[in-house]
Amino acid sequence: MASDEEDFVFHGTPIEREEEIASRKKKAVAGASGNLRTLPAWKQEVTDEEGRRRFHGAFTGGYSAGYYNTVGSKDGWAPQSFTSSRKNRAGARKQSISDFLDEDEKADMEGQSLSASSQFDTFGFTAAEYSRKQVEKEQHERPSAIPGPVPDELIAPASESIGVKLLLKMGWRRGHSIKDVRASSGARREARKAFLAFSTDENTKETSDSVVSETEVETSLDPQFSEDIKMSESTPVYVLNPKQDLHGLGYDPFKHAPEFREKKRSRLSANKEAGFRKPLSMKESLFGPKSGKIAPGFGIGALEELDVEDEDVYGGYDFDQTYVIEDEQPAKPSNDNRLRLTSKEHDVLPGFGAAKNSDYSMERFSPPKIPKDFVARHKFSGPLEAETKPTLSAPPDVPPPADNNLKLLIEGFATFVSRCGKLYEDLSREKNQSNQLFDFLRGGNGHEYYARRLWEEQQKRGDQSKLTLDVKPSSSVQKMTAEERGSLLGEKPLQRSLKETDTSASSGGSFQFPTNLSDTFTKSASTQEAADAVKPFKDDPAKQERFEQFLKEKYKGGLRSTDFNRVNSMSESARAQERLDFEAAAEAIEKGKAYKEVRRATERPLDFLAGGLQFTSGGTEQIKDTGVVDMKSSTTYPKREEFQWRPSPLLCKRFDLPDPFMGKLPPAPRARNKMDSLIFLPDTVKAASALSESQEHKKETSIEEPEVEVEVENVERPVDLYKAIFSDDSEDDEDQVMNRKIQEGQEKKNEAAASTLNRLIAGDFLESLGKELGFEVPSDVPYQEGTKPMEKESKSRSKPEGSSDKRPDRSGFKQKVEEKTSSLTLGSEEEKSRKQREKSPRKRSGGNDLSSSESSGDERSKKRSSKMDRYRNNDSESDSSSDYHSRDKQSSRSRRKRRESSREKRNSHKKHSKHHRSKKSSSSKLVYSSDEDRKESKREKRRRRD
Amino acid sequence: MSATAELPTKEAHVLKGHEGAVLAARFNGDGNYALTCGKDRTIRLWNPHRGILIKTYKSHGREVRDVHVTSDNAKFCSCGGDRQVYYWDVSTGRVIRKFRGHDGEVNAVKFNDSSSVVVSAGFDRSLRVWDCRSHSVEPVQIIDTFLDTVMSVVLTKTEIIGGSVDGTVRTFDMRIGREMSDNLGQPVNCISISNDGNCVLAGCLDSTLRLLDRTTGELLQVYRGHISKSFKTDCCLTNSDAHVIGGSEDGLVFFWDLVDAKVVSKFRAHDLVVTSVSYHPKEDCMLTSSVDGTIRVWKK
Repeated sequence: MASDEEDFVFHGTPIEREEEIASRKKKAVAGASGNLRTLPAWKQEVTDEEGRRRFHGAFTGGYSAGYYNTVGSKDGWAPQSFTSSRKNRAGARKQSISDFLDEDEKADMEGQSLSASSQFDTFGFTAAEYSRKQVEKEQHERPSAIPGPVPDELIAPASESIGVKLLLKMGWRRGHSIKDVRASSGARREARKAFLAFSTDENTKETSDSVVSETEVETSLDPQFSEDIKMSESTPVYVLNPKQDLHGLGYDPFKHAPEFREKKRSRLSANKEAGFRKPLSMKESLFGPKSGKIAPGFGIGALEELDVEDEDVYGGYDFDQTYVIEDEQPAKPSNDNRLRLTSKEHDVLPGFGAAKNSDYSMERFSPPKIPKDFVARHKFSGPLEAETKPTLSAPPDVPPPADNNLKLLIEGFATFVSRCGKLYEDLSREKNQSNQLFDFLRGGNGHEYYARRLWEEQQKRGDQSKLTLDVKPSSSVQKMTAEERGSLLGEKPLQRSLKETDTSASSGGSFQFPTNLSDTFTKSASTQEAADAVKPFKDDPAKQERFEQFLKEKYKGGLRSTDFNRVNSMSESARAQERLDFEAAAEAIEKGKAYKEVRRATERPLDFLAGGLQFTSGGTEQIKDTGVVDMKSSTTYPKREEFQWRPSPLLCKRFDLPDPFMGKLPPAPRARNKMDSLIFLPDTVKAASALSESQEHKKETSIEEPEVEVEVENVERPVDLYKAIFSDDSEDDEDQVMNRKIQEGQEKKNEAAASTLNRLIAGDFLESLGKELGFEVPSDVPYQEGTKPMEKESKSRSKPEGSSDKRPDRSGFKQKVEEKTSSLTLGSEEEKSRKQREKSPRKRSGGNDLSSSESSGDERSKKRSSKMDRYRNNDSESDSSSDYHSRDKQSSRSRRKRRESSREKRNSHKKHSKHHRSKKSSSSKLVYSSDEDRKESKREKRRRRD
Repeated sequence: MSATAELPTKEAHVLKGHEGAVLAARFNGDGNYALTCGKDRTIRLWNPHRGILIKTYKSHGREVRDVHVTSDNAKFCSCGGDRQVYYWDVSTGRVIRKFRGHDGEVNAVKFNDSSSVVVSAGFDRSLRVWDCRSHSVEPVQIIDTFLDTVMSVVLTKTEIIGGSVDGTVRTFDMRIGREMSDNLGQPVNCISISNDGNCVLAGCLDSTLRLLDRTTGELLQVYRGHISKSFKTDCCLTNSDAHVIGGSEDGLVFFWDLVDAKVVSKFRAHDLVVTSVSYHPKEDCMLTSSVDGTIRVWKK
């Protein structure tokens, strides 16, 4: 064996097992950087300080088992050796706890067990004994080859305190009580003599050794002596806490839950001495230190932090009683059993005994003394009194006031007051202090009549059963809010109708207070009222009046044209314009009402609209109509909208369904991709073409140009920069034939924009400048004439395709938009403005401001695209092909924000475009130039393709 | 009165074992077994007819909010506060796969008919479809058109239906590639589909159950009387579609007549919030679970 080992020569350090190192390293790194936290709970491992994985029990934290959760040690498991020979008999070996524990656990145990350190051990018993034994053993093992005292043996552990030494010198022996020293002083003296003699004999031996032999000798020498001593041996210490439970050796159920130990002890003591038990609020000690209320039933893992999510939303249920299951008490005291037998309490949980005596003692309070003059009924000071006891003396019968309206009002009011109590009267008096109409409440005109009416009504009501009276009014009084009261009083309609009676006598008699009252009960919110509340034309009272008239007719279904001769002063067109305005306003009001409830929904009306019209595939006008209808019907829930949705091919496969979009490439992302340019283009294109005719006449001073240049760059660069980078090359590779046809138009614009920007960025806008100013730029000049026909041709080419392609995908639709814009460009300026005006009501009805060219047509797609646009700005990595997926991936949470911001953006863009228009003269040039560039690049592209 | 006699209003068993609130109780496909899950992060398999616990599944790191069994009873899926969808083997109790990807708690899971995909509804406003056939752990599809937390999901053979706090019940039809959004105007807590597949019952947080016609989106009936304002409480239809069942936050269970929306029966099932009700696919038997930690089996 030994020779075998000698044969090997070892160089360097042995390589550890790879996985071991790797895992440990990983752990170390993770531990160091706190990375462990970021791992999911099920990947995290709890280790002890030596890197061993630990098992986890529910409460104790568990023990680490063996070596890396295996039995034994690093070298494997070695069974306990047992050797016994004739010479050397092996005795029965006693097992102890420590045989079964790991080092760390032993350390734990030692930490728990109390033992005096050698320093403070007055009698130095344990330590000294130990060291003595150690030395002795060593001597036995090592046959001292060297005769004589060995230096290190001489330096013995002098762990004995001086007190012990003195005592020993005085004849005290270990294990004996000091007290009895004097009792046997005679024998003591003898013993000391013997001892001294002995010690002088064996001088060479070290002191500690001698002490041992001394005691041995002494005890063995003198049987009589020892007998004597036996009497006075120090009393043995008995184990205070004998093991009485059924737990394993060394298992402490309360190790990590000291709160329960306390509890148990208190319970035991309560059992034993039936004394007072310390009240122990378990809940507090368990959950006290933690801030929130934690869901009961389980704790959180060792590596998890207390989170908001851990809070118990289902609060109120006390789990403590089921939480602690104490089964560590094997034998119950007999008196406990008896207790259970005698008192059968039903509300005691099985396995639990009711506490025999609790600190909760019922404190009895003597009932409060009732004052002698106490009446057991409460007197209500106010209305009920007045009501139940109608005014004793009937007020004189007074003729009703001359004013019919007032009479009606008084009658209605009196009825109501009699019904609701006097409190109501007080309230309304207070409320209508300034109101002339309610003067009768304050003793003004018609007060006598009111008093009479009220009395009559009360008389009438008094006949009815009092029970109902008692209950009803009080509740109604209680619940009444200010609004309710207002509506009950009919304040709004009252004022309105008053106004009407003033202005037009024809609508007189509408003032019917009692009936109106009942109406307000049933009709909570008539549209008319709502319309009144919202006054869209506040600054123009005449117009507001007309608007109200309009509303009335609209909802009452009268003939509209009849009344319009009133406003004859207006021109035909102005009236038409107003009509549109009114309609829009009415719609807006109606819609506003509908959307008030669901705040979120307000963000999406346009979305809905677009979704509805996306598939109608009819003309734009029709689409708008359906949209409006949709709006109108949307006031009631539930409402349904439909959108396009693309299931992924794999999903369809898993559901065993044919993919509805099989073979069709995703249209949405592509369109959206291309749309970016369009959002900005229509305005510029329009502006450009509109101004292109007049462009020839005007000449600009070059001073103005740079300023405009900057502006344009500001507007367009962020979008087109990416376009310039991404769109140009990648598209041709990917495009399939069909796709190309569809998107050709857009592509061109796209490219045009890109190339425009390229130019601008490259700084050769000077060239275009020069061109505009009429300088000769050789390469561009020949194209100028040819561009227009070319473009037209391209349009006509794309047109039939667009119309024949009925697919509801966005690209197809988009093309239509494009057509529209192109037709717009051909139109004159005023035509455009008229169109805008026409659309303006729609605009308002949409609740959103739209840019003028496409009012509602592709709102949804536009929104999307603008969103996309923004997205792209943020994320330069999303190239055109991965657009769709990236949209999916983007967190939906930020979407709303984005949507808002995109709207903002649109607004800002609009502002810009307005700016363009206002600066028509200067900006036109530049826009034109860029337009031209676009055309040029388009042509280049085509040429390349051909 | 004969109607009430048919209803399972007698308590047959009380299933105890969960520590803390039970968040969902579901019958398996044939109704012989039940799976429950709760705040104690366990899923438990029961025989509700004999009232015995069969198995406990532990692996979730946080509360388990929903569970669903495949039609062949071999696998089930669960989801919960740890933002993952677990795909389990019933017999071995092992987690076959964990689908991670939701950005928030996952509220509901469902298998499709062929048990090839799991659809989960999450706090992150999305429905995610996970593939069980392949080994991919990426979602097959993410549906994120919802504006708020998706609370509940139901699958038919061809559609995915999700109910969301934004007040919509959205139907995603795979055959035609359309999304139909029915806006109810109130946060939708739970949706369940009638057994004939024509109607959707949506439990809204204004203490109302609404029955929608699926083809037209029409509101067919409204059921009121219970309390459902702040907790996720389930609703369902009986297997004959004759009655609508809804749990209430005060521990009652309500039975409405499907057609005339009358409260046919209501009784106290639990002391605390009834989180889930589940009806046996064939017999007159019902499971209710509650925050008080018990599951009760109700029979005629």
